Amino acid sequence: MNTPHYKNILIFLLTSVGLIVLPHVANIPPAMFGFFCLMLGWRFAGIWQPQYLPTTRLLYFLMLFALILLVSHQHRGLLGRDAGTNLFILALGLKLLEIKTERDIYLVVFLAFIVAASLFLYQQSLFMAAYILAVCCVLFATLVAINSIQIHTRAALKTAAVILLQAMPMATVIFVLFPRVEAPRWMLFEEKNKAKIGLSDSMEPGSISDLGTSEELVFRVKFTGAIPPPKYRYWRGPVLSYTDGKRWTQTNSQRFKAQLAKPSYAGTAYSYTLLMEAQEKNWVFALDIPAQYASPLEQNGHYQLINPENPHKRTEYQITSYTQYNTGYLTQLEYQDSTQLPSEPSDKIKQLVSQLHGFDDKPENFISQTLNHFKTEDFHYTLTPPLMEENPIESFLFNTKRGFCSHYASAFVYLMRTAHIPARVVTGYQGGKFNTVGNFLEIQQAHAHAWAEVWIENQGWARVDPTAAVAPERIEQQLDINLLELGSDIRFETSNSQQQENWLKQMSQLWNNADYQWQRWVVNYDSSNQSDFLSSFGIHDFKAMMKWLMALVGLITVLLALLLLYQKKKAIDPALRLYQQFCQKLQPAGLIRTDREGAMDFAQRAKLALPEQTEAIDHITNAFIQLHYGRVSTREDFVTFAKLVGGFKLNDRRLE
Amino acid sequence: MQKYTQQLLDSANQIILGKEHKIRLAVCCLLARGHLLIEDIPGVGKTTLAHTLAKLLGLHYQRIQFTSDILPADILGSSVFDGKSHEFTFHPGPVFNQMILADEINRATPKAQSALLEAMEEYQVTIEGKTYPLPKPFFVIATQNPSHQIGTFPLPESQLDRFLMRIELGYPDPKAERALLTGQNRHSLIESLPVQLPPEQLQQMQNLVTQVHTANALLDYCQAIINFTRESPEYHCGLSPRAGLALLNAAKAWAFLDQRDAVIPEDIQAVLPAVAGHRLRSGHTNSEAIVAPILDKVPAL
Repeated sequence: MNTPHYKNILIFLLTSVGLIVLPHVANIPPAMFGFFCLMLGWRFAGIWQPQYLPTTRLLYFLMLFALILLVSHQHRGLLGRDAGTNLFILALGLKLLEIKTERDIYLVVFLAFIVAASLFLYQQSLFMAAYILAVCCVLFATLVAINSIQIHTRAALKTAAVILLQAMPMATVIFVLFPRVEAPRWMLFEEKNKAKIGLSDSMEPGSISDLGTSEELVFRVKFTGAIPPPKYRYWRGPVLSYTDGKRWTQTNSQRFKAQLAKPSYAGTAYSYTLLMEAQEKNWVFALDIPAQYASPLEQNGHYQLINPENPHKRTEYQITSYTQYNTGYLTQLEYQDSTQLPSEPSDKIKQLVSQLHGFDDKPENFISQTLNHFKTEDFHYTLTPPLMEENPIESFLFNTKRGFCSHYASAFVYLMRTAHIPARVVTGYQGGKFNTVGNFLEIQQAHAHAWAEVWIENQGWARVDPTAAVAPERIEQQLDINLLELGSDIRFETSNSQQQENWLKQMSQLWNNADYQWQRWVVNYDSSNQSDFLSSFGIHDFKAMMKWLMALVGLITVLLALLLLYQKKKAIDPALRLYQQFCQKLQPAGLIRTDREGAMDFAQRAKLALPEQTEAIDHITNAFIQLHYGRVSTREDFVTFAKLVGGFKLNDRRLE
Repeated sequence: MQKYTQQLLDSANQIILGKEHKIRLAVCCLLARGHLLIEDIPGVGKTTLAHTLAKLLGLHYQRIQFTSDILPADILGSSVFDGKSHEFTFHPGPVFNQMILADEINRATPKAQSALLEAMEEYQVTIEGKTYPLPKPFFVIATQNPSHQIGTFPLPESQLDRFLMRIELGYPDPKAERALLTGQNRHSLIESLPVQLPPEQLQQMQNLVTQVHTANALLDYCQAIINFTRESPEYHCGLSPRAGLALLNAAKAWAFLDQRDAVIPEDIQAVLPAVAGHRLRSGHTNSEAIVAPILDKVPAL
C-alpha cells in the first residue's frame, strides 16, 4: 500500500476532500474547520512521512477531542442541519487519518459525497451547484483511479465526467417526477438567523438610509403581459399611519378590514410572477395595488399582501395588479387612524399649511401646492441628511431641508393631517432593475422607498410621492447603485448611459438571469410547482406520476443499454455484416465460425464439409476478402458480394 | 516473381524434409528483412537450414561458431600492425558477409553476443572509432540451444527483440525421418544446389513486400492483438510498438508468399507464434502454446 500509484490516489482523494469541505468554512464554527484542516494537513504530510501518522491511542485521543468540540458547539440542539454537518465533517477528518486499506478510501469518498450534499442545505445558488458538481466529478475520478491499473489524471477526470453526463437524463427525470414531500418542521434549515434584513415595521426618517446602497436582492418579478412604465412601479409594503412625532408605526388594520369598500379597478391588468427571497417579515411586495392573488396570500386592511406562512423560504406567487384604482369610501376607523397627530401642530407648521391654502382650499389644490413648495423652495434629495433629533419634521421643513424619501413622505403626511386630510405613509420598494436577458425586474434593497397616500373624495386612497417632486429622476429613472456612495452626490443614470451598456453589465444580467431561472425552476420546484408543471402534461395525481417515473426510468435504462449494444455493433462495416449473414446461412449445416477463424480458414473447413458448394464458398470468401481487406473496393464489388450472399442457399437435402 | 519464391521453397524442402511451414517462415523472415533465431536441441537441422538458404539465395556465407571464450574481435575483426607499411590495418571479421550463421549464440558471453547484435541492429560496425558498413543484404540466422542446457547464457529480452522471428524445428515426422535415413548425404546435396533467387531479385521482392496492402479492418485486428497482450494477465509484459511493426511486416511477407497483395488475418495468425513467442515469454520454447490465448480470444473478424 505504499506504491507511487497509491500515493497518487491519496493526493487525488485528499485534494478533492479538501475542495468539498472548503465552502463549509462559512457554515461551521471556525474551531471545527480548523480541526478538519489539521487532520487533512496531517494526512497530507503522512503521504510522504508515514511514520508521523497517529497511533491508535492518539487517534482515540483525537476522537475524544472531536467529541468535546462537537458537544461544546451544540447549543443549537442535537438535531438539525448544523449538528449533522459538523458531525460529518469531523468524522471525515478523523477517518482521513485512518486510511489503511482500499476499503477506507471508498468510505472516505462516500463520506465526502454526503458532505457535498450537505452543502446544499446551506446554499442553493447556481454557482454552488456548479462547484459541487465539479468537485463530485473529481471524487468520481478518484474512484476511477482506484480501479484502474495506471492513473492518468486527465483520463480519469474524463471518464468521471462522462459518467456524470450519462447520469444526467436519469437525474432530470427523477428530479421532475419524483414526488416532493414538504420538509418537516425540524428540517426548516434555521434560516431565521440568516433571513435578510428588509424594511422595518416602523420608520424614523433616517432609518432607510441604511438600505440605501445595499445591492441585496429582495424579489424578482416576471410579467406575463404588459410591463408597467417605471413611474407606476411601486411595490406596496407596510403602511405606517401612527406617529409619535418622530417615529411612524403600523396600526392594526383588522379592526376596519371588514368594513372596507371594495375597490374598483381600471386600466391595464398587470399579471406577474413574484419570486420573493427569504425574508424576515411575511410581507409580500405586490405592485400597487394587488387585485387578484392566490392563497396562502392574504390582504390586510391596508391593501398590503401578507403570507401568513413561513417567510424564511424563497417563495413564488402569482399576482395581478392594477395601477389605476378607486378604493371607495373611508371608514370611520380609517379616518381616525389617518388623521392622528401626537399633539397639536406648532404654529410654524400651521402657518405653513395656511400659507399653502391647506385650510381654505380643496385637498387636491393643497396637495399640489405642497408639492410645489418642495419643488420651488430650497429642498434637496440626499442619502446623508443631517441628524434631526428633536422635532424632526419641523427642523426638516424649515431648517435643514435635506432628506430622502422617508423625510419627504413623513413631512408631507404630517402637513396633510394638520389640514385634517386623511393621509398615511406607505413603505415598500420603487422601481427595479430590468434584466433584458430574462425579461424580469430585480428589486434590491436599494430600491426601498417611502411615499404618501391621501384619501380624496371620489378617488379613494391616492398615491402621492413627494420625493418625485424634489427628485423626479429617483422615480423616472434607475438609481445606479454602482455609482452610488454615501456622502457623495447622487447620480442618476441618464438615458444616454443606459444605451451604452457595456459587456460587463450584460454579463451580469446574463448571470442574474441564469440564477433567476435556476431559483425558479430548480430550487423552487416544490410540490405545488411540480403538480402545476406536470398538470400541463396531463399528469394529475400521484399514481400517474409514479407510473410515468417508472416508465421513463425504465425507458432511459433500456435506451442506454441499446446504445451500448449498438456502439459495439456500429464498428461493423456492411461487408462484414453481409459476411456474417453468410455464416449464419451455413449454421444449419453445423458450420459455426469460431472467433479465431478468419474467412479463409473458415472457407477451408466449409468446403470440406460441403464439397458441392466449393465454388460458391470460394466466390463469397474471395469477394469478402477483397472488400474487407483489399486495396480497392468499388460499389459494384459490394453489390456483387451482396448478391452472392443473398443467392447463397444450402441444399435442401442437407437440411432434412 | 512468385515463381522464384516457389522454386526456392521447393528446393529447400528437398533438403530439409517435412518442415514446409518452418521453411516458409524462414523465407518470410528474410523477405521482411528480419533476422532469424532458430531455437532447438542440437542436430535437428538448424545449421543445414541456414546453409541451404544461403546457397539458394547465392549470398556470401560465413558461419561463426559461438563458444564461451569467443571475443568481440573474433566476430567483428581487428586492426593488426603491418610491419611493412608500419601502420595498423583493419582485418574485417566474419561479420562482413551477407549471411551469417551465428551458431549456438547463447553459448557465448554477453559481451560477444552484444557485438553481433549491435551489428544486426545498425547494419554497421564501429571499431576503434571508425565505422565500417556491412554488406547488403545482411542477414543473421542465429541458432540457440534451449536455455536449460548446460553452459548457456540466455539472451536478454531486449536482444531477443532484435530477431524478427524465432522458430523451432523439432523432430521430423517418421516419414521424413525414413526419407532422411535412406537419402543422400545432405552436404553434397547442398553443394549441388543452384542459386534460385539472386540478391538483386531478393531486394526487389523485399521492396514489393513493403507495398502489400493493409486494410483498416486488418490493422484493427493487429491492434486488438497488441492490446490484448498488454492488458491480459497471461503476459507480464505486452508487445512493444517495435514488435507490432515486426508482426505487420512479417504478415505482409507471408501474404506476399501466398501471392496476395493484401494482408488477411490468417497471415497474422500464421506468423504470430514466430514473431510474438520469444517476445512474450523468452524462456519457453513452445511458441504455439504461448500465443494460443491470443488467437482464441481476439476475434479475427
